[in-house]
Amino acid sequence: MPETIDQYQEGKRDVTFRVFRFNPQVDSKPYFDDYTISAERGITVLRSLNYIKEHVDASLSFRAFCQAGICGSCGMRVNGISKLACTSQVWDELDKCREPGIIKVEPLRSLPMIKDLIVDMDPLVDKMKHYSNWIETTMPLAEIGKKEFLVSEKEFHRYDKATDCILCASCVSECSILRANKEYVSPAVLLKSYRMNVDSRDGIHDVRLSELVKDHGVWDCTHCYRCQESCVKSIPIMEAIHAIREDAIECRGPKDTSGAKHAEAFMEDIEKKGKLVEATLPIRTNGMVWTLRNLLPMAMKMIVKRRTPPPPPLVKSAKGIKVFRAMFREMTEHVKQDHLKSHKK
Amino acid sequence: MKRYAYYMSCINESMTKEVDRSIDFWQKDLGLDFVKLHEGTCCGGSNLDYVSPKHFALVNARNIALAEKSGLDLIVSCNTCLMTIRTAKKKLDETPELKKEVNEILKREGLEYRGTSEVRHLLWVLVDDVGLDAIKAKVTVPLKNYRIAPFYGCHILRPSTVLGRDNPLAPSSLDQLIEALGGQTIPFEHKNRCCGFHTLLVAEEESLNVAAEALEEAINSKADFIVTPCPLCHTVLDGYQSKALKQAHIESSIPVFHISEMVGLALGYTAKQLGIKRHIVS
Repeated sequence: MPETIDQYQEGKRDVTFRVFRFNPQVDSKPYFDDYTISAERGITVLRSLNYIKEHVDASLSFRAFCQAGICGSCGMRVNGISKLACTSQVWDELDKCREPGIIKVEPLRSLPMIKDLIVDMDPLVDKMKHYSNWIETTMPLAEIGKKEFLVSEKEFHRYDKATDCILCASCVSECSILRANKEYVSPAVLLKSYRMNVDSRDGIHDVRLSELVKDHGVWDCTHCYRCQESCVKSIPIMEAIHAIREDAIECRGPKDTSGAKHAEAFMEDIEKKGKLVEATLPIRTNGMVWTLRNLLPMAMKMIVKRRTPPPPPLVKSAKGIKVFRAMFREMTEHVKQDHLKSHKK
Repeated sequence: MKRYAYYMSCINESMTKEVDRSIDFWQKDLGLDFVKLHEGTCCGGSNLDYVSPKHFALVNARNIALAEKSGLDLIVSCNTCLMTIRTAKKKLDETPELKKEVNEILKREGLEYRGTSEVRHLLWVLVDDVGLDAIKAKVTVPLKNYRIAPFYGCHILRPSTVLGRDNPLAPSSLDQLIEALGGQTIPFEHKNRCCGFHTLLVAEEESLNVAAEALEEAINSKADFIVTPCPLCHTVLDGYQSKALKQAHIESSIPVFHISEMVGLALGYTAKQLGIKRHIVS
């Protein structure tokens, strides 16, 4: 029956994998090898790579283990996007090819290359260590093993999603800021820090937080949401990053760092005018000296083009600001009450 | 005439005034009537949500409620305002107790957040409501000699659970608009990448590196200009361009347009009328 033939043809086709190759011991620069194999519908990118390694080119190197999206070993870029090879269907990827029928496979970005699709995870592990991403128990040594450490369901829900992370480093590879500066803490590490910091069994919250607010830490995230979008476990990583910031402002005050000052300026301006006072935002974030040194040449160009934001007195308040302000302050009272309630608990 | 409530973004009232000005020129040509929400306030710029989640909900419930009062959808022309207000809307719609608390306060102004108005980007209105054919029909000066790099920016695409209009990995709405105006889109790897705006004052070097990457690709691709639906992306890619390229040791430059200006040009308005001369890179 023609229908069966169509199904058969649809169910199997030749697919080319254009794979990144680089062996630093031999190659002066990276190159791509094309491997064309007959692939069946339902096959994953990882199974295809395994097939290539077993039947076509044994020198091809990649990391893989569980083949079921659990261990996080096979993180790589498939058609430009960081993901797990073992959960990526070849048929789905065929729809995303830049060149029809050619699936491009590359190593994760922003981590040192070891060979072909294998990257060095040590910098990530080092950062996990640097930010003390483990639980330092609050339980006295004498009680350990003798007493239960109870965690409420409510508390568990705060880090339930965060514990889904399998350290595949897809978010690390997609992070905009890490691409710009390898010292940046990176999203996976922030997620893990959040997870530890909200755990009631942990005793080093303040130490961890004091490290997170330093340079290359939580305030350097540029809110691009690429980490969250690429997360193979759909973890809302940005919520964790925002939660660390919220915690930092609450525990360390709104004047602690330039990041906190910058964020707090939005709150101040909205209460005062309902509008952002952009002209003084750099000064309020970094002080006058930084502003003059860093922004003066650009400010001159902006003056010439009549692009400068208006000085504070000329920023028109939103219409109906008085009622708005009263409502804003009413909410401030609600927030205070919430804090009192949570502290009583 | 299709009527919408138009959200006034802070940056469009200060540094990028040309956005609202250029929209005013052509909105009637495309059968659009944008009613400016002068009572609207700053959305919190992707910061208020963690400084104070409840104030964030209140402020944006009010922004949306103002549009709902007139029975209109809320149209936004800044990506971050779009993402921020839509995030608040999602939170309010999913959390009845928060919605109730906020509405108790909004009563003071005779407002109520119901969740009936959609919050949408200007780009989506152009492509989905006006429609590409209707836009094509109005073009008097097709952008046919221009190779254009479409830079979507982050907050019109991500998080996709909040935005959801374009595929964040392969967005197409801006490409379609460019083509409807007669322009030629170029393949642009950085189309869905970040401009670095939100860390400009906190991690400037990193932000400028991020911006330089996108600018470099557009320059190397021989694009005539970059176009973006976001005034924040525009501020980095245009205003900080020379600083970013200097840091990356690139000696070149490329103009950056707002979508509102690109539409205006194709509809026959002049660069002077549209305020294009206010850009830092000419």
